[in-house]
Amino acid sequence: MIICDDVTKSYPMGTGRKQVLRGVNLTLEPGEHLAVLGRNGAGKTTLIKLIGGVEMPTSGRIRRHMTLSWPLGFGGGFQGSLTGYDNARFIARIYGLQYSAIKDFVEDFSELGVQLKMPVKTYSSGMRARLAFALSIAIEFDCYLIDEIIMVGDAKFHERCHYELFVKRPERALIFASHSPEYVREFCDSGFVIDQGMAKRYKDVNEALEVYSQL
Amino acid sequence: MASLVSGWKIQRRVIQALMLRELVTRFGRENIGFLWMMVEPLLFAVLVGLVWRFMHGPEEHGVSVVAFVATGYIPITLFRHILGRAIRVFSVNGSLLYHRQIKILDLLLVRFVIEFIGSMMAYLFIGVILIILGEFPIPADFGKLFLGWILYSWFSLSLVLILAPLSEWSDVLEKLVPVTVYVMIPVSGTFSMVSWLTPDAQRAVLYSPFVHAMELMREGVFGTVIHAQYDISVPIGASLVLTLIGLSLCRRVRRDLVVE
Repeated sequence: MIICDDVTKSYPMGTGRKQVLRGVNLTLEPGEHLAVLGRNGAGKTTLIKLIGGVEMPTSGRIRRHMTLSWPLGFGGGFQGSLTGYDNARFIARIYGLQYSAIKDFVEDFSELGVQLKMPVKTYSSGMRARLAFALSIAIEFDCYLIDEIIMVGDAKFHERCHYELFVKRPERALIFASHSPEYVREFCDSGFVIDQGMAKRYKDVNEALEVYSQL
Repeated sequence: MASLVSGWKIQRRVIQALMLRELVTRFGRENIGFLWMMVEPLLFAVLVGLVWRFMHGPEEHGVSVVAFVATGYIPITLFRHILGRAIRVFSVNGSLLYHRQIKILDLLLVRFVIEFIGSMMAYLFIGVILIILGEFPIPADFGKLFLGWILYSWFSLSLVLILAPLSEWSDVLEKLVPVTVYVMIPVSGTFSMVSWLTPDAQRAVLYSPFVHAMELMREGVFGTVIHAQYDISVPIGASLVLTLIGLSLCRRVRRDLVVE
């Protein structure tokens, strides 16, 4: 279970502060697939970073009673100057796994081949996404935090993510920030719409998408 | 208690992984890699030592000039390196903070440990070479040398624990660091014993915890040939206070840190 308790976040802006989230409450149970919806700059990425523990809330608390992936997105998580292999080795070590135990899966799932020997900064977003998903699926988290990036993959990549995340591991939870109604319907069963720093939960993902389209 | 043990296990794992990563990114896998850490201070000590030798003769105040330069330069290099590597270390390594088990203190400690071990190896390496060349005495008291080294390193670390978070808040600090490091050379004990100074200057430099640690190290190396003045409670007290302030600043800065 993940519980956000009256979470606020503000950033310094000029002489004042910009209030991004003004009191967000959220409870996520195992197996729930939640879409985070909102316009550009509404605070989707901020919320995912707070839940993932990348940044700290200005006030409020976040309790995590299951293991969470790091936020899988366009930035962060990897060392650009290191190769795909070196990043995989590093991540395996800090999550307490033997690299040899996940090597085959990472090579197979990412389909990056010799490109794993190149620095991650040379990767396209699609390649980053492959590596990030390969690693985080191999580590087996209870909950996956996904910030957009799944959409940059090709059709086969989606199919494999879908199979690994939903068919093989239906009990895993998912928090997915996205603008794409198509993917949100495919991956999520409930929605969380952020607007003006406030957030509301909708049991039905279609209802959430409807509200989001009116913003 | 159980969570404390598992927390420690995780931190140990993280620190090991970060050390390996740091060694690879810093020194690469080619060339002489890690050995550069020893070669650089050796070159400096030998070259400056030779210049001084021509200017001041082979000995001054009864000790070898080359040995005196080496004993001063290696510790200050340690301080300069850990400080240089700590400025804005948290935001520069933001991508690592995506992994929740990596704490910002880990980033500082890993850099400190690498510099600490590397400089100690450099000291040993240079010492052995200079002893063979007849330019360095067999240390009179290894215990004092080591204790002085520990105190000097701890005081350096405690300063860095404060300056690293401050550098995240203020851009000015980053610009001031290089000049400050130069200005502090006279109060670092690097190029002079306290007893060689005028009484007024002696009183002034003895406010510096660096000087006490340096005098202790030099007594460990040269023994009673020199007249060392130190009080270990000065560096211990200063380091303790600065470490506590630094830890709370690090905690504070983590809350405000914006990770890209």
